[in-house]
Amino acid sequence: MEHEIWLTALLNHLLAGPADSVLKIMGVPHDAAHPWSNWMSMELLVVAIIVVLFAMLRSRLSVDNPGKLQHVFEVIYEFVQGQAHETIEHGSRPFVPFFGTIFIFILFMNLIGIIPGFESPTMSASVPLGLAVAVFFYYHWAGIREHGAKYVLHFFGPVWWLAPIMFVIEIISHLARPLSLTVRLFANMFAGEKVTAAFLMLTYLFIPSIFIGLHVFVALLQAYIFALLAMIYVGGAVAHEH
Amino acid sequence: MTRKIVFLIAAAFLLATPIFAQTPAGGGGATDYRLPFAYLAMGIASGLCGLGQGKAVASAAEAMARNPGAQAGIRFALILGLVLIESLALYTLMITYIAK
Repeated sequence: MEHEIWLTALLNHLLAGPADSVLKIMGVPHDAAHPWSNWMSMELLVVAIIVVLFAMLRSRLSVDNPGKLQHVFEVIYEFVQGQAHETIEHGSRPFVPFFGTIFIFILFMNLIGIIPGFESPTMSASVPLGLAVAVFFYYHWAGIREHGAKYVLHFFGPVWWLAPIMFVIEIISHLARPLSLTVRLFANMFAGEKVTAAFLMLTYLFIPSIFIGLHVFVALLQAYIFALLAMIYVGGAVAHEH
Repeated sequence: MTRKIVFLIAAAFLLATPIFAQTPAGGGGATDYRLPFAYLAMGIASGLCGLGQGKAVASAAEAMARNPGAQAGIRFALILGLVLIESLALYTLMITYIAK
């Protein structure tokens, strides 16, 4: 069992019983004395932080006199909406909340690991896998909602006589998408932490802070790339051939 | 002349084949070469990833120099390409962690 951070230890101390029951009902193998894992407690903490932040934002929204928080979130919203409009030409509006959520959620999860005493939930493989599976089901659902039963025609390629081999290729490439999303996010965060730890073992003065700076940049970039790829997949699913 | 040198070096490597005859440290059973090969794979993956990313950055820099008005689009394509190439090297890093 990896080193427990303070929040996980606190939750294991207080709420071991309910978490144990829930995991037993779901059939997940776990350690009965420590049902809370680091990533579970940190993920819930990030959700709580985001909810509080948005509640604060909501109470201070104003058209005539926007405050600093509103400006920041307007920039983020413009960014996500602009990117969605560029990627999905028509009808990107309904999907912007999903992409914005993915972007902000992953961003906060990646960045919280930099604060000492907290660990990025995206450092464990489960969290990026859950996000990738969510994106997978979302873009297929978007495609089915747009095209109906004809969505299956997307898998058959451009011409009918290539359909058998195109079907296999398309299935494999569609299954590779959540895999690549998961591994990309997980490996970037995990490797960033390990590299920083390795350099902290070697020298403790200045060099590790460079790697932490690199980790911040990579965290931002990986959140953006995850959201961008989600947009590309949704765009591909709802596209109308001309 | 270079071919002769290359073949001589390859033959010299073949002189090292008795290394396969040594008894494994843990007694019988299969020797575990997974980890050293995983490290070698990581080296190859990082090297080739470096080559690919270098090519991407070189063509992006040249495109930006030729067409300064299109910098935003080129920068976007550059970042996207770099991240996707990076992820290929990271898949190999994951194999290293799984091989442990």
